[in-house]
Amino acid sequence: MALTATQLVDTLSGLTLFADLSRPQLEQVAHKMTEESYPVGQRILRQGFTGTGFYVILDGEVTIKIDGEERARLQKGDFFGEMSILLGEPPVADVVTTRQLHVLHLGGPELEGFLRDHPMVMYRMLKTIALRLYNVSRTRG
Amino acid sequence: MPLKTEHKASALASVPLFQGISQDSMARLAAVTGEQEFEPGQNIVLQGQVGSGLYVILEGSARVLRGSEVVAQLGPNDFFGELSVIDQMPRMASVQAVQRTRCLALASWDLLDLLESDPKLALNMIKGLATRIREQGEQHQH
Repeated sequence: MALTATQLVDTLSGLTLFADLSRPQLEQVAHKMTEESYPVGQRILRQGFTGTGFYVILDGEVTIKIDGEERARLQKGDFFGEMSILLGEPPVADVVTTRQLHVLHLGGPELEGFLRDHPMVMYRMLKTIALRLYNVSRTRG
Repeated sequence: MPLKTEHKASALASVPLFQGISQDSMARLAAVTGEQEFEPGQNIVLQGQVGSGLYVILEGSARVLRGSEVVAQLGPNDFFGELSVIDQMPRMASVQAVQRTRCLALASWDLLDLLESDPKLALNMIKGLATRIREQGEQHQH
């Protein structure tokens, strides 16, 4: 169920990660990333294996599992795959679809350049990752 | 006497958030970092308030309070509010000056301006945070 270019840009403009981008910048993002769909029960990233890319969820849901135990569920606007790409290490979790999934995909080697080209996307990503660390550590004021 | 940029940079280098960033980026970061002084008993940050800055203690001492309970003592080179400089999250605790205390203070909006013009700094910070999340995850598993 591929979207038209206009629909895709409209969808992207509603996602937090891309909230600071102008319409021409959103068009660049839509052009750079590939739309993909996955059925329920599909494993997209596999714990311990090489990461295959950066994914932004347009619709649907995935579960994040570490050693078979569910840690989180991600939905529209959430993203995954960036940690293992940026660290150059295999994913620490399985990512499996729990609803029909519609994503934008960017190949691993392209992520760093993509973020450098779009500093505000990187800043949004930085905030999300800081929040994750805040939630796992909560030690200092 | 105000601190020189290189002294600020060396104090900021003790903060894990800024580990692995280039000297060039560190100098720019130090340039937008200010100094603040607090009298004994004065609150530096308040629990529950939205955080908007990172502090590194240069001189003096402070205590960390959760409610009325003292949970930690801080001195020179200790820092707090590290993550609130990125996202304005509520403070988990108050920090109160015990002695007259001088701090470096970095405001989140100044960091944001810098990140926009220095993508390498942001990228290094993301990598540093991702590494720490991984380490935390590994600790939970053991």
